[in-house]
Amino acid sequence: MIVRVVAVFVAALILAGSAAAACAHPKTSLTSLEGQVMCPTCHTTLDQSDSAAALRIEHFIQLRIDQCATAGQIENELVQNFGAGILAAPPHKGFDLLAWWLPLGGIILGALAIAFGVWRWSRIRTPDDEAPLDAETEQRLDDLLARLD
Amino acid sequence: MRTLKLTGQIVALAAVAGMLGLLVWQLTHQTKAPKIGASAPVFSLKRVDSPGTLDLTSLRGKPVVLNFWASWCVPCKGEASMLESAWRQYRKQGVVFLGVDYHDVTSDARTFLAHHGVTYPTVQDGSGMVADSYGVSAVPETYFINRKGRLVGDHIIGTVVNQKNAFDSGLQAALAP
Repeated sequence: MIVRVVAVFVAALILAGSAAAACAHPKTSLTSLEGQVMCPTCHTTLDQSDSAAALRIEHFIQLRIDQCATAGQIENELVQNFGAGILAAPPHKGFDLLAWWLPLGGIILGALAIAFGVWRWSRIRTPDDEAPLDAETEQRLDDLLARLD
Repeated sequence: MRTLKLTGQIVALAAVAGMLGLLVWQLTHQTKAPKIGASAPVFSLKRVDSPGTLDLTSLRGKPVVLNFWASWCVPCKGEASMLESAWRQYRKQGVVFLGVDYHDVTSDARTFLAHHGVTYPTVQDGSGMVADSYGVSAVPETYFINRKGRLVGDHIIGTVVNQKNAFDSGLQAALAP
């Protein structure tokens, strides 16, 4: 009887412990963050580097994941520590927003320029297009058409 | 139609001129490592060993040994105790040892300082901008700055443990009036 009570008590303790360790939100993963964070010494993303600095940053990220930090929190902490250059992609705010909008603007402007060029080209008429045929060519054309009939 | 064509040409020329301007700006604004005798690049960085920031200009009038290091750097571990010993020896003569923690996680840097018993001030250069301004290519590297804020002696690339003579002569050059 005592053994059963102790077993139930231990099981309850284990369950309570794991519940406390669980995060209130889905955990992010090191794999998902590795491609978004740069190695400051080798200038590649962490997933492409095995330098000492990259390994320490990965260790820090894993530690914060285990502590239930969100991806956003971890990125903010890395930016505070290393500066904005630690992120592979520029932030979606402030002046850095230009890095996202300028290429898009360039593509739209390029597409408009091409569309306009095609439209202009399709409307161009050379003087030959509207010039009447000379008598000889017209006669040959009539003969050809008559033969086809 | 001619106006439109002319406008297009002007826009294209302006774009090319802009690109060329950017290229020239990039070439002329590349950071060059300061030479010995030049003013040491100034900086103000967050301290690792205590709260607040430290400005290099606040050390003007004192000889400074500037050591760039990182907790992930193996040779830096080897030279930490020697630098600490030298700091304890020379601080009486007014020399300030200043560690610059390069591209490092703050918690790792604090663990390193505690583990190696480093007591001289240390600042953090997380982005590496200050290291770039000095022309640091890898850590550890050590610079000597005299009382006038000028770089003196030979800057030491690699651990000071293997370059004791250069370290001593750098210190003496920094101490010279």
